[in-house]
Amino acid sequence: MSSDVKKKITPELQMEITNLYYQEAYFLDNRKYKEWLELFTDDISYKMPLRETVEGVGVENIADDSFYFEETIKSLSTRVNRLYTKSAWVENPATRQRHFITNIIIESTENPNEFRVRSYFLFKRSRGSTIDIEEMFGERVDKVRLENNQWKIASRIVYPDQSVITTMNMSMFL
Amino acid sequence: MIKKTLEEKAFKHLKEKMEEGLLPQWVLTDPDIYELEIEKIFGYSWQFLGHETEIKEPGSYVTRWMVYDPVILLRNRNGEIKAFLNSCTHRGTQLCTADRGNKKTFTCPYHGWSYNLDGDLIGIVAGNKVYGEEMDKSEWGLRPIPKVESYQGMIFGNLDPNAESLEDYLGDMKWYLDILLGRSGGMEVIGLPQRWVAKANWKATTENFAADPYHVQTTHRSTVEMGISPEDPLYAGYGHQVVMKNAHGINVITSKTGKARVPFQGTPDSMWPLFEQHLTPEQLDIQSKVTVFVGGVYPNLSFVSPIHGTEGDLHNYLNFRMWRPLSPEKVEVWCWFLIDKAMPEEYKQAAYKGYLGSFGPSGTLEQDDTETWARIVEVSKGLMMKDKELNYNSVSNYLMGYKRVEPDENFPGPGTAYPTTYIDSIARSMHERWLELISKDLFVKEESR
Repeated sequence: MSSDVKKKITPELQMEITNLYYQEAYFLDNRKYKEWLELFTDDISYKMPLRETVEGVGVENIADDSFYFEETIKSLSTRVNRLYTKSAWVENPATRQRHFITNIIIESTENPNEFRVRSYFLFKRSRGSTIDIEEMFGERVDKVRLENNQWKIASRIVYPDQSVITTMNMSMFL
Repeated sequence: MIKKTLEEKAFKHLKEKMEEGLLPQWVLTDPDIYELEIEKIFGYSWQFLGHETEIKEPGSYVTRWMVYDPVILLRNRNGEIKAFLNSCTHRGTQLCTADRGNKKTFTCPYHGWSYNLDGDLIGIVAGNKVYGEEMDKSEWGLRPIPKVESYQGMIFGNLDPNAESLEDYLGDMKWYLDILLGRSGGMEVIGLPQRWVAKANWKATTENFAADPYHVQTTHRSTVEMGISPEDPLYAGYGHQVVMKNAHGINVITSKTGKARVPFQGTPDSMWPLFEQHLTPEQLDIQSKVTVFVGGVYPNLSFVSPIHGTEGDLHNYLNFRMWRPLSPEKVEVWCWFLIDKAMPEEYKQAAYKGYLGSFGPSGTLEQDDTETWARIVEVSKGLMMKDKELNYNSVSNYLMGYKRVEPDENFPGPGTAYPTTYIDSIARSMHERWLELISKDLFVKEESR
């Protein structure tokens, strides 16, 4: 496909998709998980594979057979609904969390209403009165789709940079 | 040799309290006790290294840890399984840092010494020119892990060259491992183990997993609130808790009626003839009634074979986890997913998703467990809890079923089987084993006057 057929990534488009991510981070950080779920299409594929340590130069170090998350809208809904119960102890008392999303790069696809979006994330979390601050960082690759005039996330792959996770659990969404 | 000491009076209190079904709380994260545990428990016990299906081909390897000892576990050219200390014999440098791979030789990045799959030193950069003919390469091969043995595809290592065989060590536990791992002719590991570091003491996590179905109704109450688990607070208590020698144990959780909630743990009926073929009538009886198997191989391997699903359908799988102590207050959890090799491919994938929804760092059940592990550690440094003289009665309660529940002589499996899983029998046997090991050949310091 030649570049002139591709949809141009305008500053407006960049701003709209950036705002989508800021809105998403706001929902997550303010525990509006049901609103967060509304940002996904019904056919969402939400995955987080393991990062592994591999010898060699230029070698793929994302495991293709191992995951932390491999979710559909249904399984994400189960996870979200659980966070509204009184006894999901890991989030009760609630952790305080921030999602910092940067380095957003948008590429057009063959579908004029769908874009491939790469972003970096830095997640920080504080829990109870403990002084340890937990963090996780990495990259996300999304498919963002215009559906009924609204931007929705149609697929997401979260690539963590650590091969050994140092948050004591992964109760967060990324 | 350095002899670790334990104060005589504290030791006496410890024994006395344990005989009453209590465990003094100071032992949980005490740094001296931790050092004793590493040396005397992990230096002499069989530790899980990996599963045979993780190293399928000649040259396949994975890197593992026996607490602080780095291990390369590999399959050599003849298909034999070998385990070596992952450290160059020249200057001790860690030889391989990859998690897994396949190769013919391991070369140290420091001075270039290289080893083959049998651990033989096969290459020294500028060998004869710098070391002369006197250098005997055969003396400088990789150091093998003293003992490496497998049972039902599970590979264990032991740093003690005089250790009893793995099969003797497992004892009656083999009978249950034959169900868990052998029911259909063999299990396979899918993918890499998930690894994460939790704020926890290894004793508390092993106990939480292997010995404590009683926590399920409260820690995992969110599943009750969502209508996934029954309201009956006894629901995880129906069945048997079985205690075996060397502090191995298993909980066979059934249901209120004593029958399975779904037959054969919701496995497809195409698998059932295989179960009949590979299990004895007694094992098949247990497999037909069980809802969840959960237990452990002492010291730090635990397993669960539950029924879970995130899409409405229920699936069964096997999860093994190794609790690697990093400090008195830190554990690196290694979490493996296993499934019957013979299981239909679609079922394997669905079961993997069910696993991700329940266990491992992202599993909703395990998330809540991590919270309690951390809360135990976070309060363990206080003077009241650390008091070895027990002036404040800082003892944990392991009285559930103590001296009041009799074993069920009609249970078809080996070991001592109690007719409930809401009982602290496995936990108490783990404590007894723990004390036996850490106090073995211990020089007990005389009290100063």
